[in-house]
Amino acid sequence: MAEAEAEWELCKENIQPLRRGRAISTLTEALSLQQEGSSAITQRTQQAFESELRIYEGDDPLDVWDRYIKWTEQTFPQGGKESNFSVLLERAVMKFTEEKKYYNDVRYVDLWIKFADSCSEPLDIYRYMHAQGIGLMLSAFYIAWSEEYEKRGNFRNADTTLQDGLKCGAEPRDRLKQFHKALQARVTRHVMLGMGQESDDDTMEMEEPNRKTLAELKALGKKKAVAPISRGSSIVNTQPRGLQMKAPMAPVRNSRLMVFDENKGLAESQEPKLESWMGPPSARHKENEQKPDKWTKAKLPQKTRAGLPVVMPAPAKPSFQPFVEECEHTPAVTPCKINPAVNCVLSARKPHREETPLKRLQDWKEQQQQQQAGGSQAPGTNGKPREQSMYCKELLFSGASEFCFEELRAERYRQKHAQRLVASGSGQSAAAGTSAAGTSAASESFCAGQSSSGPSQ
Amino acid sequence: MLDNAVNWVEKGDKDFSDFRLTDVRRFHGPCRLYGITFYISNTAHPTMSLFGTTAGFGTGGTSVFGSATTDTHNPMKDVEVTSPPDDSISCLAFSPPTLPGNFLIGGSWANDVRCWEVQDNGQTVPKAQQMHTGPVLDVCWSDDGSKVFTASCDKTAKMWDLNSNQAMQIAQHEGPIKSIHWIKAPNYSCIMTGSWDKTLKFWDTRSPNPMMSLQMPERSYCADVVYPMAVVATAERGLIVYQLENQPSEFRRIDSPLKHQHRCVAIFKDKQNKPTGFALGSIEGRVAIHYINPPNPAKDNFTFKCHRSNGTNTATPQDIYAVNAIAFHPVHGTLATVGSDGRFSFWDKDARTKLKTSELLDQPITACCFNNNGNIFAYSSSYDWSKGHEYYNPQKKNYIFLRNAAEELKPRNKKW
Repeated sequence: MAEAEAEWELCKENIQPLRRGRAISTLTEALSLQQEGSSAITQRTQQAFESELRIYEGDDPLDVWDRYIKWTEQTFPQGGKESNFSVLLERAVMKFTEEKKYYNDVRYVDLWIKFADSCSEPLDIYRYMHAQGIGLMLSAFYIAWSEEYEKRGNFRNADTTLQDGLKCGAEPRDRLKQFHKALQARVTRHVMLGMGQESDDDTMEMEEPNRKTLAELKALGKKKAVAPISRGSSIVNTQPRGLQMKAPMAPVRNSRLMVFDENKGLAESQEPKLESWMGPPSARHKENEQKPDKWTKAKLPQKTRAGLPVVMPAPAKPSFQPFVEECEHTPAVTPCKINPAVNCVLSARKPHREETPLKRLQDWKEQQQQQQAGGSQAPGTNGKPREQSMYCKELLFSGASEFCFEELRAERYRQKHAQRLVASGSGQSAAAGTSAAGTSAASESFCAGQSSSGPSQ
Repeated sequence: MLDNAVNWVEKGDKDFSDFRLTDVRRFHGPCRLYGITFYISNTAHPTMSLFGTTAGFGTGGTSVFGSATTDTHNPMKDVEVTSPPDDSISCLAFSPPTLPGNFLIGGSWANDVRCWEVQDNGQTVPKAQQMHTGPVLDVCWSDDGSKVFTASCDKTAKMWDLNSNQAMQIAQHEGPIKSIHWIKAPNYSCIMTGSWDKTLKFWDTRSPNPMMSLQMPERSYCADVVYPMAVVATAERGLIVYQLENQPSEFRRIDSPLKHQHRCVAIFKDKQNKPTGFALGSIEGRVAIHYINPPNPAKDNFTFKCHRSNGTNTATPQDIYAVNAIAFHPVHGTLATVGSDGRFSFWDKDARTKLKTSELLDQPITACCFNNNGNIFAYSSSYDWSKGHEYYNPQKKNYIFLRNAAEELKPRNKKW
């Protein structure tokens, strides 16, 4: 046991924290598996989950996804590409956006919360959920949302969110109330700290005249408060999830405004009410930045006076007749997008930088509506004729990794075979017996049976 | 002699009883003319000592043709192989030239591997059968034609000795074995198995442990071997080329020329009979021709669309089907593709033209192969699971058809 603990200690920086915490037994098991390199078991379990996803025919498909994602979380403590965790989450979330019955299912909302955590703009996700009506009856949703606001220092909205939740009657109510109280306590403490540190400001400045390693927003000039202070605190305090570090120096320069913030209400951190800036704020204090200046003495080729680029003389025409190929040779054309949500697995190109998972979800929903409304006659967005894949795309690509037709079929065969073994009752001995006898018997019938089936001559 | 070889079965009705001696066409090559007594019994063949007499022999099968003339199961009116498997056919392989005559092996999802003799007049005679404990995914012959190797979902591969009609296990994987190939090198011979457990293993058939095991980035979906080159296409569009000289080793990983899941691959040779590239098919109606070391990759490598419907009709969406198998003609170097749409097509990759497309069969075509001299093209019609298990009808019959391939796969004269 001591050894196991030591192992965990050795790589705890790499282990991604979970909201609910990790079971130490599964954690150590996962870590030791990774060290020994016995990923075969992991692979097989992963494959088993993937197969289950595709074969499942019951009423509660969310269950399979839920178990798969929870297993992935526990088995791949460091996260990483192998686990396909983010792909899985996104898939799971998108798959059930139409299923209203899951909208207030704890598991589904949990998936959304995990998904939001992994996005760059969780607030957008929460707002989307609110608009769609996902999780409105669950306190987990409101708690997660208000935590997000709190991270950004937006205590006002954090508070409002929780109150909304209470108003809507989210369950479990007690937890929500508890959290609300805790939030209020935190806010009060924050305010007190802020007030208490006002007197230390001057001394701190003199101690570090030149180099500030974790420099935050500073007001230029003698005036202390120019911009809303929350900006500085929000940038410094927004750390990777789970770690809530306090800035080494007091982020609050102007405690007078802090009191105002509590009552008046802060502007959203995205749209601040700006006082006049003395100069642009430096988001981060970079030390080795150079001022832009002349790079080399080289000059660009001149453009003509009219501003048009200089036209090179056209190349001379070849003296021979270039061979014209048969029409069968078509240059490789990219197939038009059929389902953007799937392309992230198949596409050779990296996903567009501005494309967030939320945007993908919205695009996908739009397309679904278009397809339902417009029918299949409309030409594709490229103007090319639409193409339709005549195979079960959803089945092949529903999990994190793809399947081929044979894998699908083999999985179904395996299931049926297992059921047959169980149903036969006598277990494996019977099956082994029949298969051995079957070899010779079957071949006899294959060859000998022809005399009866062929026409007589 | 070749002029008469085309469409040698199309005379009159499909009822085999009409077949008379005078209608017998000849295959190019040694022709053996048989009397009508070939219908009845196999024992007329003294040269059949190749097979042991332990298992019952076929007593001269006659082809069972479809009854109605409008039946679309065989629109090309090709020869039907007798006693086809009871479930989807996953793979077909003809015997090598070292074996006189033509023997066809077919593996199926009914867990069995069947062997037929294909006679020169087009008769198919069931010969023997072996079973696995799981569906058979791939088969191959040894170079001397005495053994057949079979790979199955039960994670094992077996070696079937045709002389004694005994099969023994020669390989074991941790997942279903998707591909099996025989490698005959000057200094070694072995079996190469590619599996869904992401490994490629090489087996000397005498030892229970592999000679070599190579790790792959993903599950192996299809493979082909033409010494000294081997190509494996994996899941997530992986593509690896191995060189087999001296001992197998990874030669190069290639960026896939296709944008969709890889489904089938076949190596082609150059004029000097050396492997020089491969054709790769995907699940979305496209085949890529890829040379390993071309003088001008941008021009020499290309892809073409195939197995699609509504070619030029832009009003309705074009249906795209999977390419299930590719096979190269051993003499002409032209290729055949078979697809989920239920058609087969012949192509000339050098002239970049399509030679022929078949009529529509009522089921997908799952496998195809050429015999050793390129006269016979075999293709199987059964459900490939392209639409999942809802479209699976266990009652639907599965077929293997044989077609004369000598004429239709001749390359176009226009070369450039």
